[in-house]
Amino acid sequence: MKMAEEKPARKKLENLGAEMLDEIAKDESPHFETMLRSKSNVLYDEAIGCLRLGDKKEIRTFVNVAQAKKFMQTVAVAAKCKKFLDEDAHTSIRGLFYQLKYSLGEEMDEELFAEQEESNPLIEDLEAALKLKREDLNLNTDRKGVVAGSLVLLDKFGGERTEIDCAKQGRSGWMVPSDVDNGMDFISVDAEWVLVVEKDALWQRLNEDKFWKKENCVLITPKGQASRGCRRLIRKLANKKLPVIVFTDNDAWGWYIYWTIKTGSMNLAYLGNDVATPEARFIGMTMQDLKDYDFLNKLTIKAKDVDVKRAEELLSYPWIAMHKPWVAELKSVIKSKRKIEQDALQGPRLSFVGDYLREKMAKKKFLP
Amino acid sequence: MADGIFGQFREHSIAEFFKKNRQMLGFSGKVRSLTTLVHEYVTNSLDACEEAGILPDITVQIEQLDNGHIRITVEDNGPGIPEKLVGKALGQMLAGTKFNRYMQQRGQQGIGASGAGMFSQITTGRPVKFKTGQGDGKFYEGELKIDFKSNKPIIENKKEADGPYRGLWVQAEFAEVKYDKSDYAPYEYLKRTALMNPHAQILFIEPTGERFLFPRASDLIPQKPQEIQPHPLGITTSDIVEFAHSSQDRKLSSFFVNTFSRFSYGKVEELKALLPEINFEMAPKELKWEQAEQLVNRFKELRWVSPEMDALRPVGPEQVEKALKNIYNPEFMAVTERKPKVFRGGIPFMVEAAIAYGGGTGRRKTDGSVGGDILRFANRVPLLFDAGGCGMTDAVKTIDWRRYDIKNFENEPVSVLINFVSVHVPYTGAGKQAISGEEEIEEEIRLAVMDAAREMQRYLHGKVREAGREAKKKTILRYISQLAHDLTQLGGKGKPAEIEKKLTKMVEDKYSQLTLEEAGEEAEEEGAKEDPPNGNGEEKEE
Repeated sequence: MKMAEEKPARKKLENLGAEMLDEIAKDESPHFETMLRSKSNVLYDEAIGCLRLGDKKEIRTFVNVAQAKKFMQTVAVAAKCKKFLDEDAHTSIRGLFYQLKYSLGEEMDEELFAEQEESNPLIEDLEAALKLKREDLNLNTDRKGVVAGSLVLLDKFGGERTEIDCAKQGRSGWMVPSDVDNGMDFISVDAEWVLVVEKDALWQRLNEDKFWKKENCVLITPKGQASRGCRRLIRKLANKKLPVIVFTDNDAWGWYIYWTIKTGSMNLAYLGNDVATPEARFIGMTMQDLKDYDFLNKLTIKAKDVDVKRAEELLSYPWIAMHKPWVAELKSVIKSKRKIEQDALQGPRLSFVGDYLREKMAKKKFLP
Repeated sequence: MADGIFGQFREHSIAEFFKKNRQMLGFSGKVRSLTTLVHEYVTNSLDACEEAGILPDITVQIEQLDNGHIRITVEDNGPGIPEKLVGKALGQMLAGTKFNRYMQQRGQQGIGASGAGMFSQITTGRPVKFKTGQGDGKFYEGELKIDFKSNKPIIENKKEADGPYRGLWVQAEFAEVKYDKSDYAPYEYLKRTALMNPHAQILFIEPTGERFLFPRASDLIPQKPQEIQPHPLGITTSDIVEFAHSSQDRKLSSFFVNTFSRFSYGKVEELKALLPEINFEMAPKELKWEQAEQLVNRFKELRWVSPEMDALRPVGPEQVEKALKNIYNPEFMAVTERKPKVFRGGIPFMVEAAIAYGGGTGRRKTDGSVGGDILRFANRVPLLFDAGGCGMTDAVKTIDWRRYDIKNFENEPVSVLINFVSVHVPYTGAGKQAISGEEEIEEEIRLAVMDAAREMQRYLHGKVREAGREAKKKTILRYISQLAHDLTQLGGKGKPAEIEKKLTKMVEDKYSQLTLEEAGEEAEEEGAKEDPPNGNGEEKEE
């Protein structure tokens, strides 16, 4: 309990409620103000190099028929989260939904929440309003992402303190938890840089090759799209001045994984630079690789419609279009309608992946 | 004489003709025949009272006799009938007070009471019993039959008595009629009669002995209708022949000037120029059908001063409103009064329309639900039959009711009342239950009904708004208990009961003060908020 009292999230929640109660005491309709999370309020902040929300606000007041229910639901979510913090218990956003799915009254044919689609956005509203992450509210997200490297962490969980040495996780690596902020501290970071590898298969390849040990990096795979916890971990490592290098397929998903890590996503724009790593660089795969590694030309595959469409879409984003190498890269995909996967680098021999990375690292062949 | 249509009837006796063609008088179908009988007697009573300036008190009793016959008894407090005219009034076709009089009356042909007597006689062989007095200390009783061959009344068992009785009492027995309580039956007929004659009090005693009183809603006796001359543009060939042959004028030219409205000697000269083959010096009795036809056609080519409108006697909006309230007690009603118009170029008419919503309005359907009803009247007389072929029905059905917040006319508690007022009602048949759908008439009816509909629409709209405001309040109130509980938890202070009380008061205050417009605007905010971004290649979370 004592620990819970210390949490800033709890204080923020209580203040929110207290302010509403003060309004009621003054015979005013209580209101809730958050950032408007719609696309129209998402902007690219050039100064910090990531997506964030603009100045538009959304105000919800109770004594208004169009907003009453949502207001009540927002308070219900906030009250429930405060309870989780007080009890030092965690759950998923689905778990939260089930805690709040009940009838509003015996004779009422209406539930507080009928669908999870109702509660999910309210959690994001709270995150944006209180300037904190759902993980701060004891709401877990799915764990995804595996780490290996010279990195030691302290995990304070369930009243226990566990030291985690990411260099001693064998073939499986350390799985990135949902929350890498609360109750999670770095003990030592001996690695010199971070390599993010899209696919778990490639991570396993590089782990077997002891790539991280030889090159002294933190080897991370988000296993596709990076989870919030994974992105937050990358951000925290970047804060430790470790360069972040991203290695993905040369296709729609690959680019997207990179750009999400680098600038954040529109959906999570309200988290701003907390989950973005503008310093990240892209090592491959690229269309340029086809020129540098002749064998790859035989290993390209046909780009799908979604890849071409996505490439066109990326070209329309100003924060991508301002990078000439990226424009050339994307246009090349649109023109050739070919794409190339990371796995193709295992064509000549399995360990060629490591050689490819070393060569490009040495020559600093990165895309911004 | 031989050329006139009615002239031909008379040669075979008008009574005999109608005996063979009784459907022309409305005696077709057992239910309809009974309603027609009640109608004939009640109409006569109302007209008589009106002419005499008396507030009518009418009692109608229908009895089911053991022999299967139905006995109708109608009594009024009218002026009564002078002794020597009783026979003519009750037993001679076309001899009543109405025939050939160009004025706004309920009945028009003077067949009514005699026709009823005829129907009694041919279905049961029994005479019509009567009692009448003029309030002068004497009254007469007797039994009346009709000699069909000669169209002459025969009075039997006549008795004279002393007493202060004033009014007319008639009783007759009928077969081939049926009593029920359908929309076409005497009950509905009398209810509607009372509606359009708010100055009358009508008591109806049905076969079970149950009594229904339609009380007087107004003490205002309608103004006496004014007899006017027919306008040349509103006249038919048979009318001219009819009038000419009964005229006392020596010359055709003076007959025209004396008989018709707006007909000057100047107009006669114009006609002479157009019709040199007709001798305007001839006696009116000599006028041939073909000549009359030519004249009617030429009338249409001349320019006439519009007919006089003074003869029209609408019920009046105040009276209609009182009556509607009296009979239906509706939630809302709107009555319109419009200026007289002219149809066929020469017949003045006027449309009174009203719409009543909610309360006892609408038509009770067989499944118990309520649907839109059209109450048709011609000179205050309810028209119950032939709705489908009536210009009034057509006019109402061709209105786009959704524009007036009536989603489906057939399913709403709404009654549309139309009274067609004219010295000449263009009935579609001798049964006099529908008016012809002439364009200028239907258009005027539509306009009158739409006038009233607009007012109703405003009411219904306000009603929806009011309901919306109430619903809004309720919507918010239902969330208060949950919110108060959560807020005290979240804020770590306060008592739920107190918070609940404050919030409730806040909501109550807002939605009782809120103007309708504000409430409407607030509702529009709903759904106006932009949606947050969706998929679109963005990450999916859980």
